[in-house]
Amino acid sequence: MTLTQSQKRGFFGACMLAAILIAIGVVTTFFASNYQLRLVYSAFVNLIVVLGLQVFMGNSRLTNLSHSAFMGIGAYAAAICVTPVAMKQIALPDAPWGLNAFALDPVTSAIIALIVTGIVSLAVGVFIVRMTGTGATIASLAVLVIVHSIFLYRTDIFKGNQAFFGIPQVFSLTSIVILAVVVVFIVRGFRESPWGVMLRASADDETGAAAMGVNVRRLRLIAWVLSGLILATAGIAYAYFLGTISARPFYFNHVFLTLAMLIFGGMRTVTGAVLGTFAISFGLEIVRWLETGPKVIGINLPELLGLSGIMLGLVIVLTMALRPVGVMGDREIEEVFSKR
Amino acid sequence: MEYVAQQVINALSFGAEYALLALGLAIVFSVMGLVNFAHGEVIAVGGYTMVAFAALVTANPLIIIVGAVAATAMTSVALERVAFRPVRYADPTTGLLTAFGVSIVLQNLFLLFISPRPIAVTSLYFLDAPVMLFGVQISSLQIFESVTTVVVIVGLVLFLQKTTLGLAMRAASLDFEMVRLTGIRANRVFALAFLISGLLAGLASVFIMARRGSVDPHFGFNPVLKAFVACVVGGFGSLPGAVLGGFLLGAVEVAMLVLLPQDYGGLKDAFVFGIIALVLVWRPDGILSPAREKGDKQ
Repeated sequence: MTLTQSQKRGFFGACMLAAILIAIGVVTTFFASNYQLRLVYSAFVNLIVVLGLQVFMGNSRLTNLSHSAFMGIGAYAAAICVTPVAMKQIALPDAPWGLNAFALDPVTSAIIALIVTGIVSLAVGVFIVRMTGTGATIASLAVLVIVHSIFLYRTDIFKGNQAFFGIPQVFSLTSIVILAVVVVFIVRGFRESPWGVMLRASADDETGAAAMGVNVRRLRLIAWVLSGLILATAGIAYAYFLGTISARPFYFNHVFLTLAMLIFGGMRTVTGAVLGTFAISFGLEIVRWLETGPKVIGINLPELLGLSGIMLGLVIVLTMALRPVGVMGDREIEEVFSKR
Repeated sequence: MEYVAQQVINALSFGAEYALLALGLAIVFSVMGLVNFAHGEVIAVGGYTMVAFAALVTANPLIIIVGAVAATAMTSVALERVAFRPVRYADPTTGLLTAFGVSIVLQNLFLLFISPRPIAVTSLYFLDAPVMLFGVQISSLQIFESVTTVVVIVGLVLFLQKTTLGLAMRAASLDFEMVRLTGIRANRVFALAFLISGLLAGLASVFIMARRGSVDPHFGFNPVLKAFVACVVGGFGSLPGAVLGGFLLGAVEVAMLVLLPQDYGGLKDAFVFGIIALVLVWRPDGILSPAREKGDKQ
């Protein structure tokens, strides 16, 4: 198989991003406290979410607001399969269809979770890809609300806002770094693949692309389902590390957070997704510290609940006003370093 | 028979509220192509103004209502100046994300400077009294709501059809550059669209407040989500579409309340949105979307 010029460069760029991710992982393993390690882990989970979002939003340029719901579906599906029977008898005593009477190994559970999420995202995607820009966004918002209300309503399966506990903690920082690297290669590969190129062309000029024989809806659907699978992966990684999940982390606050990351970094590139995720993750940690009302140089700052939300919102507004394409714009990492 | 009449009236009054909300979104969208996510926060500003007026100024409900509507109108116009002017001619996605960011900022400002907890306002309870009409018991709030919506629609139609600025606004939704070439000030058209949108948000906030009785930072979220759905179903950018979508949504919602068994109550919204999604299979751009070929001048 021969690669085109841009695919070769894409492979090179993905290698550079992978090196950065591995470096972050290595530094964290050796120097970080337990608390910091959890922060870095959650940054990596969010990175996979943002990458999943980039596959659809970056290539088709339709705004998706339902991504956290798909992450939740993946997390819950895996959790229900993998949790030991004894645990599930306590956590889900009233579960229907014998959901609390079996348990599978983590790998099989993850595969089942991916299949389930894939089917759901295919079913939703068929509707979404038919709509034009604004309609698709609002419809995806409705999807988020629907999925969340199902999580809350079927407490016998999902436990709603209470913790679903007892999930075996099989993941470590090493596994998430490997996973993130694999996802980076997949996402960059999709961007430079013929499908990715055609989809980006259709985002620039839908009529023109269609006239050249691009099946816009089919390509959007492919990107949507791939995005759903990556989001499910993030959800599984989240559940397998924390051991407890609830419906709350898969709702609006998480949607804001990950969307701000992607927008800030620049949704058109994979590099932007990586940059945005880490910049916002670490920036937000400082804001969160300010939020709790710390003592700085002898001055007691007041508690500022909501400050992190204001910062996230401002990041989105200012990025849109000053540089709508995000920090990276159309440039991937290798283009920053190579001379033009 | 009475039961049926009652539910029909319920559907109409729900629909009237959604139509009012959806019109506020549609008027801005038709002029500048902006999906105003911050509309819900404008409504919340109305709610908080009522709190402030009731606590500090007067218990006279009329003054409270006028104050709330004035505050939402000013907020809406101010948002246009501060946040939406830089993205005025940007593509719809940029505008949408900006509005999304503005909405998050405002919501967290309420959280930070006011309170994360609901604050009650009792001076509007009198709006919600039971009334007997032709042997059917309904709430006076439903009558107020329906009458207001009808008045608003008639007023809006008269304004858009009979005045120069109304004509400019209708023209702006088709070809904005042409409107500017004829010497109409762009700023004025935009400010006016946001002013009308803010007035509608204010009226809506009064009714939502009368029904819920308290305001919290997420006050406007659910109503506006419904309004978005109404706009999408009716056809984004079409004012008759917004009204139609609002009433359709009200009808589906009441139908779900009546038909769904009691213990499925928590899934009402899921069913409502699901049914609405089926309408979009039939017409992906909404029922009354303006006929426009791909590649036409936007």
